[in-house]
Amino acid sequence: MCRSGTGGEAGPAAGLETTGMLEQEMATEGLHENETLASLKSEAESLKGKLEEERAKLHDVELHQVAERVEALGQFVMKTRRTLKGHGNKVLCMDWCKDKRRIVSSSQDGKVIVWDSFTTNKEHAVTMPCTWVMACAYAPSGCAIACGGLDNKCSVYPLTFEKNENMAAKKKSVAMHTNYLSACSFTNSDMQILTASGDGTCALWDVESGQLLQSFHGHGADVLCLDLAPSETGNTFVSGGCDKKAMVWDMRSGQCVQSFETHDSDINSVRYYPSGDAFASGSDDATCRLYDLRADREVAIYSKESIIFGASSVDFSLSGRLLFAGYNDYTINVWDVLKGSRVSILFGHENRVSTLRVSPDGTAFCSGSWDHTLRIWA
Amino acid sequence: VQEWEWGPLQSSESFNPQLPPGRARPGSALCRFVKWIEDGIPEDPFLNPELMKNNPWVEKGKCIIL
Repeated sequence: MCRSGTGGEAGPAAGLETTGMLEQEMATEGLHENETLASLKSEAESLKGKLEEERAKLHDVELHQVAERVEALGQFVMKTRRTLKGHGNKVLCMDWCKDKRRIVSSSQDGKVIVWDSFTTNKEHAVTMPCTWVMACAYAPSGCAIACGGLDNKCSVYPLTFEKNENMAAKKKSVAMHTNYLSACSFTNSDMQILTASGDGTCALWDVESGQLLQSFHGHGADVLCLDLAPSETGNTFVSGGCDKKAMVWDMRSGQCVQSFETHDSDINSVRYYPSGDAFASGSDDATCRLYDLRADREVAIYSKESIIFGASSVDFSLSGRLLFAGYNDYTINVWDVLKGSRVSILFGHENRVSTLRVSPDGTAFCSGSWDHTLRIWA
Repeated sequence: VQEWEWGPLQSSESFNPQLPPGRARPGSALCRFVKWIEDGIPEDPFLNPELMKNNPWVEKGKCIIL
């Protein structure tokens, strides 16, 4: 189910007949001779069909078949090692600092908190002008955070350790969308931010000037998530949305270079595989899926009949052998990426798991929930 | 009035660059994938019991009553 509509918004009606003629004129503006909306739509479907045919020609083996000779994983003992309490409402997003210890989290209560997750102390807190802060990210330097949500913006706050710090006074508004901000991520430096929005687009921004550097159009509905490719593998990122599509983008050209449409519902989370050659997705259709970018196809589905609630957030362990996925049924499932089987189920949260990230050194992962808390698991 | 549907039209342009060949066969791509994982397992704190012993998040021992 999409959070909100995107695309052409109808203006106020001045008279049905006049409005109809105006819409007809707008709808056919820019078309070449002999082109109609129907013919363009038919061409799009035909190209889509050709793409699937090409992919199917190369299908020769499944991942679990290749992984038959791989040793099965043993039992896992993973439990909550820390609980971070302090948000007054649903936790919607979190991100790790590169120091493997600090965490930024954002909530429906309008607050963004920076935690020392080891001691569970709060180090910084800022109150946003809106509730539903749906996105937050830590800068690579650890000296700033970015956040946004229903304000349709992405703002950057520098972090200092001054005694009477006033974070809100140093706020810099960087990105402006025409609908809610659903995700944000710094690129390899503090100087650029990538954003995803309910307006159906992604965008790359210069933090210092607030200038739009590149925009990415192609999703047919709200974009809910994005992830940057590991820096060694080039300038691409993947996005997922309410149109059930995952799209891979070239950041320099703004072009979509690969597109995958196999989920049956909204894609809530996408995450690159550590090598950069694949990515995983989590969806409202209660499945997680793995896509290999070289083979240009879906190569695994992680699902069980007993799992009927949507997957909200996914991330890989350091080696990529494990896929951690948070679900709307309050649980976290741990999947064996190669065998396709579930190796553990983690209980603890008392409401939906909304966000999940593995720490930069892979020693733990953090989950955030609608139960107002974050948990560190190891 | 014909309904104005942005989705298929917006994505029509994006399909063309994807058609040219260059895809790897899943078999060879997946073999490299499996090898990458196998090479990384010794360094994965969740999968290497020796690394887990030194995990900073895990308690070193039980509480000692003084």
